[in-house]
Amino acid sequence: MSDYISLTDKEREEMLSVLGVGSVRELFADIPAELGRLKVRLSQGRTQKETEELVSSFAARNKVYKSVFLGAGCYRHYIPAAVGAIVGREEFLTAYTPYQPEISQGILQAMFEYQTMMCSLTGMDVSNASHYSGATAAAEACLMCLGKTRTIGVYDNVNPDTLETVATYARARGVKVVVLPSSGGKAVPYEGEADAVYMESPNYFGLVEDVTAVADAVHIAGGKLVVGCNPVSLALFRTPAELGADIAVGDGQPLGLPMSFGGPSFGFITAKKEFTRKLPGRIVGETADAEGRRAFVLTLQAREQHIRREKASSNICSNQAHAALTASVYLSLMGSAGLRAVAETCAANAHYLADKLSEAGAPRVHKGEFFHEFVTDVKGKAAEIVCALDRQDILGGLVLSPDRILWCCTETVSKSDMDKVAETVGRVLK
Amino acid sequence: MKTVFEKSSAEIKGMEMPAPQVEKHIFAEGLLRDGLRLPELSEQEVARHYTALSKRAFGVDDGFYPLGSCTMKYNPKLHEKLAALAGFADVHPLTRADKIQGSLALIDTLNSYLCGITGMDAFTTQPCAGAHGEFLGLLLIKAYHASRGDGARTKVIIPDSAHGTNPASAVMAGFEVVHAGTDASGDIDLDALRALVGADTAALMLTNPSTLGLFEKNVLKIAEIVHDAGGLMYYDGANLNAVAGVVRPGDMGFDVVHLNLHKTFSAPHGGGGPGAGPVGCKKALVPFLPNPRIADTDEGFRFNYGKRSAGRVSAFYGNFGVLVKALAYIVTLGGEGIAQASETAVLNANYLREKMSLHYPIDTSRPCMHEFVVSMKKLKDDTGVTANDVAKALIDRGIHPPTIYFPLIVEEAMMFEPTETETKEGLDRAAEAFGEIVRLAYADPAAVKRAPVTTPIGRPDEAAAARHPVLVG
Ligand SMILES: Cc1ncc(COP(=O)(O)O)c(C=O)c1O
Repeated sequence: MSDYISLTDKEREEMLSVLGVGSVRELFADIPAELGRLKVRLSQGRTQKETEELVSSFAARNKVYKSVFLGAGCYRHYIPAAVGAIVGREEFLTAYTPYQPEISQGILQAMFEYQTMMCSLTGMDVSNASHYSGATAAAEACLMCLGKTRTIGVYDNVNPDTLETVATYARARGVKVVVLPSSGGKAVPYEGEADAVYMESPNYFGLVEDVTAVADAVHIAGGKLVVGCNPVSLALFRTPAELGADIAVGDGQPLGLPMSFGGPSFGFITAKKEFTRKLPGRIVGETADAEGRRAFVLTLQAREQHIRREKASSNICSNQAHAALTASVYLSLMGSAGLRAVAETCAANAHYLADKLSEAGAPRVHKGEFFHEFVTDVKGKAAEIVCALDRQDILGGLVLSPDRILWCCTETVSKSDMDKVAETVGRVLK
Repeated sequence: MKTVFEKSSAEIKGMEMPAPQVEKHIFAEGLLRDGLRLPELSEQEVARHYTALSKRAFGVDDGFYPLGSCTMKYNPKLHEKLAALAGFADVHPLTRADKIQGSLALIDTLNSYLCGITGMDAFTTQPCAGAHGEFLGLLLIKAYHASRGDGARTKVIIPDSAHGTNPASAVMAGFEVVHAGTDASGDIDLDALRALVGADTAALMLTNPSTLGLFEKNVLKIAEIVHDAGGLMYYDGANLNAVAGVVRPGDMGFDVVHLNLHKTFSAPHGGGGPGAGPVGCKKALVPFLPNPRIADTDEGFRFNYGKRSAGRVSAFYGNFGVLVKALAYIVTLGGEGIAQASETAVLNANYLREKMSLHYPIDTSRPCMHEFVVSMKKLKDDTGVTANDVAKALIDRGIHPPTIYFPLIVEEAMMFEPTETETKEGLDRAAEAFGEIVRLAYADPAAVKRAPVTTPIGRPDEAAAARHPVLVG
């Protein structure tokens, strides 16, 4: 119970006598008496061993599957052991935001390198040092574009949690949200007015969108395009910047972070240069000390809440720095060839499974190219299929409706797993 | 030091991934990118690079870290092990509820402990940090007023001692900010407050103890004034480490609170995050909590979707891994241990302040809570040495500087928060170091202004960084 307190009883006595008080409670004299009388009831303390047993018993009540075909915003990828070993170093784990650059060069440099990697993946010019999640990154990116129409368009084929988060942030500020239609699972270029339009590619259904067509329409109407993307897919595909996006965002969890029941992961926000001073949150820049030695610092802080208060570009203070560091270490270990291999295997597996499921009577619902997720028509048997897979220690895809399952394949699933899924689906549908 | 990109070699291919067991998919040429610039290093080179970076960082295990308002307490090693258990880390958030009873039970248990600690009726764990919690908490307040047809409540009152996130969050939530004045000890001016509140008051945001480290004695009176005007009370829980287990915000008259699990509840800060900023509220605001809510039913824990939610603020259920650490902390300490932690945090702060006051004029007439603020204005007037200079000189003495230039209402502010986990020896040493720097400032101010000299770099040119931003390498 008191493992984490360092004072001895004798020291406590000495300290109280230095302060000239008889008991610690005298130091709480400012608290109105009527408040102090209320007793805070909680459980008894435990030893660390007991805590370990108790908390582990919660973990034991979750099912860990041999193979996972569920994605929809959170993905099981292979995580090299070196990632955890490196980021677990206490200097990274237990430090605060690097307010004091002289003793925080390591963290600042790692963030600078992170920003560089994110810009490299998305083709953009600038990146912040992370946001809470892909959903909040999308929301704040849309707010960065606010102009005279005070309207944000969001496609109906994006991740529903992201859509709802963007809507929450927008409506809070009195900004109108228009949900834009898709056809055949893909975004229909929108020609109406909006300050920002948010789309995803690959979208929620895994489809690779024609980003350029949407970008052109949005730009002609005077708006900005925010594109949400899966960072692993960017090892293969043309960058959002090349395709015409003004801001590219996404959730970084696929880059070496465990699923961890949905968090912590991190959101990335990368943008064209013109948006630099509108980015929310920490940004690291390179400079030098008086002797000309290379130095990294938190910079452009005139955007931030601690300086600008109600005029800040965002309220964000703490971000997801350690998760972003994890992604940087993962990307450093992978290199471009490693990340491309991961992406190619994901795509190969997904296309193999899609074919197999089609043969088994569950064809794809949408036409067009996809990355590592796709939707099949399972003819009212979605729940049965997922249950049958569960019995084989396989976490099936996401049930979108009784007729539709959204599948995901990463590099962690084997051919025999996929064959088993197809065989099971065939059996249920027969 | 070279960046990881500068250490790259084109000859190296990164980690070898298993080849696909199925046929490779060929995408149309037009979809594919040209090249991808990432670091190209062997595993050992990556390990060495990041290890070298880690040696240029300073964590709680490296030494005294009295960074005020941030509660840099020891982060128990056990918690890392627990959060990494496959039963937590390898679980997909969209798995069917009956297969993830452990995660749901954990969140539900944590929520009920947090209710017990704060005196709130329900919690949500969705917000990822304190500021994120503020945003959501204010949305709950907005939804509450709107549900009563009270659309005129457009203003949030915030004392000028508040953290910058408070006014920034109020604006994000669509409110106008009204500033409340504070007196020299950081207490809200009651008469001024009476004149400020009215039919347009949505809420008052308060940090208690205040950012000056002093308990707002009039908190019950303040709550009465705000409630009488029809407004609600918002508690910024950043300073809960002074009073957790001792008094509850709910009893002080607060209607909504956010907590910082990365402060009070021992989760590490990770060099800037992730944190967790769960939000609790009183019964009247519960219907507006974001979906999904977790319900404890006869068939086990289930997800519930309310119709009046103020809206989702992030994906899934927030930073679950951080919640595991906070729960482990609470069950280890228990009620008594949490109260003892708060008491010790307050004892350590008062002791450090007393010891430092032997070297420099510091008002010790009123006990401080878990932190205290020292103005270095006199030192600056006398010697030209600023709070920033003193901070840099502390670095050379192996101590992480306190928070500086916050709160804004104190000139040349230095805010010290030793936390309960610091040793007496550490406190004594810090007070000595502080005294030595003050004496040096009078004897040889230039020597203090040269600090730090023991670090890999000297003071960086921050103005140049902002003038000519170099943000990627
Ligand atoms: C008083 C106060 N309020 C709010 C915050 C914001 O918390 P977070 O950084 O978790 O968003 C802080 C953080 O330092 C704080 O000290």
